[in-house]
Amino acid sequence: MAFEVLMPQLGLTMEEGTVSEWKKHEGDAVKVGDVILEITTDKLTNEVTSEFEGTLLKIVAQEGEDVPVKGLLAYIGQPGEAVGGASAPAAAPAETAPVAAAPAAAPAPAPAAANGKRIRISPLARKTAAKLGVDYSGLTGSGSSGRITQKDIFAAAEAQKNAPAAVAPAAAPAAKPAARSGGLELMEGDTVVKLAGMRKVVAERMWASHNEIPPVTQNIKVDVTALMKFRKMLLAETGKKYSVNDLILKATAKCLRQHPEMLVSYDGDRIIQRAHVNLGVAVALDAGLIVPVIRDADKMGLDALSAAAKDLAARAKENKLTPDEYKGSTFTVSNLGMFGIETFTPIINQPDAAILGVCAIADELDMDEEGKLYKKQVMRLSVTLDHRLLDGAVVAKFEMDLRDLLQNPMQIVL
Amino acid sequence: MANKKYTKEELAGFYRTMTRIRAFEEKAAECFTKGMLAGNIHLSIGQEAAAAGAFAAMQPQDYFTSTHRGHGHAIARGMDSKLAMAELFGKKTGYCKGKGGSMHIADMAKMNHLGANGIVGAGQAISAGSALASKIAGDDSVTVGCFGDGSTNEGTFHESLNMAAAWKLPVVWFIENNCYGVSTEIHRVTNTPDLAPRAAAYGVPYAVVDGTNPTEVYETMLTAMEHARSGKGPYVVEAKVYRYQGHYCGDPAVYRPAEYMENALQNDAIEKLGRRLLEAGATQEELDAMKQAADEEMTAAVQFAVDSDYPDPAEATTDMYASDNERCVAR
Amino acid sequence: MSKKITVSKAIGEALHEEMLRDEKVFIMGEDMAVMGNVFAITKGFLEEFGPNRVIDTPISEEGFCGMAVGAAMRGMRPVVELMYNDFATVAADPLLNQAAKMRYMTGGQATVPMVLRAPMGAGRRNAGQHSQSLENLFCHFPGLKVVAPCTAKDAKGLLKTAIRDDDPVIFLEHKLLYARKEEIPEEEYTIPLGLADVKREGKDLTIITWSREVNFSMEAAETLAAEGIDVEVLDLRTLVPLDWDSIVKSVSKTHNVIIVSEEVKRGSYAGEISAQIAEELFDELDAPVERVCGLNICSPFSPTLEDENFPHPETIVKAVKRVLNK
Repeated sequence: MAFEVLMPQLGLTMEEGTVSEWKKHEGDAVKVGDVILEITTDKLTNEVTSEFEGTLLKIVAQEGEDVPVKGLLAYIGQPGEAVGGASAPAAAPAETAPVAAAPAAAPAPAPAAANGKRIRISPLARKTAAKLGVDYSGLTGSGSSGRITQKDIFAAAEAQKNAPAAVAPAAAPAAKPAARSGGLELMEGDTVVKLAGMRKVVAERMWASHNEIPPVTQNIKVDVTALMKFRKMLLAETGKKYSVNDLILKATAKCLRQHPEMLVSYDGDRIIQRAHVNLGVAVALDAGLIVPVIRDADKMGLDALSAAAKDLAARAKENKLTPDEYKGSTFTVSNLGMFGIETFTPIINQPDAAILGVCAIADELDMDEEGKLYKKQVMRLSVTLDHRLLDGAVVAKFEMDLRDLLQNPMQIVL
Repeated sequence: MANKKYTKEELAGFYRTMTRIRAFEEKAAECFTKGMLAGNIHLSIGQEAAAAGAFAAMQPQDYFTSTHRGHGHAIARGMDSKLAMAELFGKKTGYCKGKGGSMHIADMAKMNHLGANGIVGAGQAISAGSALASKIAGDDSVTVGCFGDGSTNEGTFHESLNMAAAWKLPVVWFIENNCYGVSTEIHRVTNTPDLAPRAAAYGVPYAVVDGTNPTEVYETMLTAMEHARSGKGPYVVEAKVYRYQGHYCGDPAVYRPAEYMENALQNDAIEKLGRRLLEAGATQEELDAMKQAADEEMTAAVQFAVDSDYPDPAEATTDMYASDNERCVAR
Repeated sequence: MSKKITVSKAIGEALHEEMLRDEKVFIMGEDMAVMGNVFAITKGFLEEFGPNRVIDTPISEEGFCGMAVGAAMRGMRPVVELMYNDFATVAADPLLNQAAKMRYMTGGQATVPMVLRAPMGAGRRNAGQHSQSLENLFCHFPGLKVVAPCTAKDAKGLLKTAIRDDDPVIFLEHKLLYARKEEIPEEEYTIPLGLADVKREGKDLTIITWSREVNFSMEAAETLAAEGIDVEVLDLRTLVPLDWDSIVKSVSKTHNVIIVSEEVKRGSYAGEISAQIAEELFDELDAPVERVCGLNICSPFSPTLEDENFPHPETIVKAVKRVLNK
């Protein structure tokens, strides 16, 4: 009897996945470990490999179809073998039947516009939308009679890419905001894109965090003149080029180890003291934000930490993170320094209790003890705290220690 | 000419052809009634002498066209009864690979048979066109266009005969007048007792003969063929015949008065020729043997047809075009 | 080397060359011989080839078309001219029931290598029975090949191929193209049947067309280009066999299509092509395929009325903009 290929569960929160591309086609030979298709979730793209050897007999879920976890994707078996419920032997255990008959096998219903009307979209645009993962149910078409054309899909895809990136938490489950019905009037030239995918997740998490947490943001100024020299020295002596962010991550991890009070989570009537320094690092993507996590960052050397940060950021941009890699943070760092941001109020990545915002480095004039002017490089750190769990003075101590550490960079690596 | 004395062997030649035609048609009718054939067949029982006489006057290089009631013409020209019967059955071994059926039997290679035709009157223009080809090419073949009384009221009769006459084309038209176009008696729709005299309007010679007498038909056709072959242009021969069956096999012909068939049976061509043969010295046993041979031939033909395969359904799209067939039938 | 001659002269050259090449080729029709055709296409042929091969027929379209079928079945290559393609209805049986079907009905025994040249098209104020474009009629009947060239070069090259082809070919000549002078190669050439010609490359929309409407489509394309709309013009040249590959290629590039012909819109071959595109290229389409054809009326006489009944460059421009919603 043919084997069923089912939608895998990638991470605890995954409920359904979208078939983005079939790498194997009906009739292709398949070996164990061969990549047979690619699926996307709201967070990532994943390859599904075969657990069976044989021939891909039938593709049940077509490209673009949403399939619930454990839903049927395809059959693998011997050529000529019948697939599906019809040929299943009478003795087949009942448990396989519901899978074959799962709603996944049914074609996805045609999407309808918010007002329930059929969406006018050209066949080409529909195909293109499926390919690019663009949800067109909210689009206004530029074709005749308001038909959505390929051009509109391209524009929507472009708009998704260029959507402004905000610091976003990721993995924390959050209460969904009540859906607000759109009642805004469109103005000339406006285009509309449906809130969907990663953008939708970011929106929900931000909204939840902002509404739930009483936040306080405290800025502190750090003299990074020595840090910058230290970075140059490391380059000169070891030949390794570390980013300012690498050094900040390392310092933050070290400082957090000394301030376990920062590593707590609010959980209803409980406060959870976190044991590990798991640093979330916000990465801006075209489609939104994702926060991969460096586990036990305090136990890593600068080299390892730098490599881990680079690797996670790169794979995040390629949509290649595994679900475990973007959950379990206990503290998050968001760096907007490269954009020249002087200070900001980062939003806490739940269930962390605080987030560190790293700002731009700028030259500043100062006066030494003899009254002589000198130039130094400064940077501000903006920490937002959850005032339910932490108080200003407590966090201020953490900030001062972090500042001191950054101002004595040799201490970071010692 | 009518007084020409025929030998026993000469008469036996006509008799053999006529009994073969009747045996073929009766076998076909039997198979049709049993539901072994698809579609319709139009039988020429009663018209055997006309076909036998006319085709005896043709030479090997000559061509002919035929009609929906065309089995007799083909048999008289030397048809292979197996291939014809297989075609009636729609088998792939048939003359047209089962693509034409009874109304479209053709044999371009061996019989110079340009095809029976399902459209009444179509053969008139086609036979004239074949004669035009002979004239342009300068060969000495004559084309015989066979058709029935009904077709003489088609426009092509007049258009084609007019052109054939104007250009002196080597064509002979052989009209088998059985008096019925399906159910309509010819004199209800035509004012003249005979049809061939229309040829006079185009300056074309004609003759009206007894189609139940093969030798009379033969002699008249010899004259006509000689006329056409010698470059004098077309000739029209009308043979009066009887159509024993209705229009198609199974048509009870209730529209026809009883006298029609009474006259027909009194004038049965095979019976009449049988009597002449006996007078010429043949024995009843010899006649029976010829009938027996025809019957056995057609029984074998039916067996061949039954044993043959139907065409592969994939053959449905072949033979539509001489070149680029696949692309032309694809869309 | 090339030379500039009229479309009618190009057709005459094709006939002349093929008659010299193959003595089985002969021409017949009304006013072909002594008069040399109403468009002077066969002027001088009678003197050169004699009355056996250059034949003036009486006004008996059914009769002489049927005779051409008979002659073709005998291996001759008749090139028959109908004075107007409208008269095909008079000669319907020999063309549609005989020539088209003979090969199939005889299981491949008979070939009918005839060509029917049939002037067609609107614009000469000839009213209801002398102005039609009947591509749809001929294309409907399996067994016929159908050619409808626009240019002098195509007319000559395709007619030569049609004469050499073993199947019956309907060769549709637009009357208002005859007088156009165009460049054609000096040396002998042929053009295969079933090969479309991309007259103009473009990326926004494909105009599929043939015959005189190719020229109108090219004019429309220029107008549209000035407005930043870049259309591709595909001259089918042959309607059966249809160059589907070229259609696929073009539609897959532009994703928008109109089909322009002078036919009555209802039941047109333009509609048939549209249906095939909808069936097989659905996922390539960004808008419905539009047929830009004549109206569902009898060809009118008065200029203001007749001009309503076939697509002009302006009609085509409007249709393109409608499809692109510009």
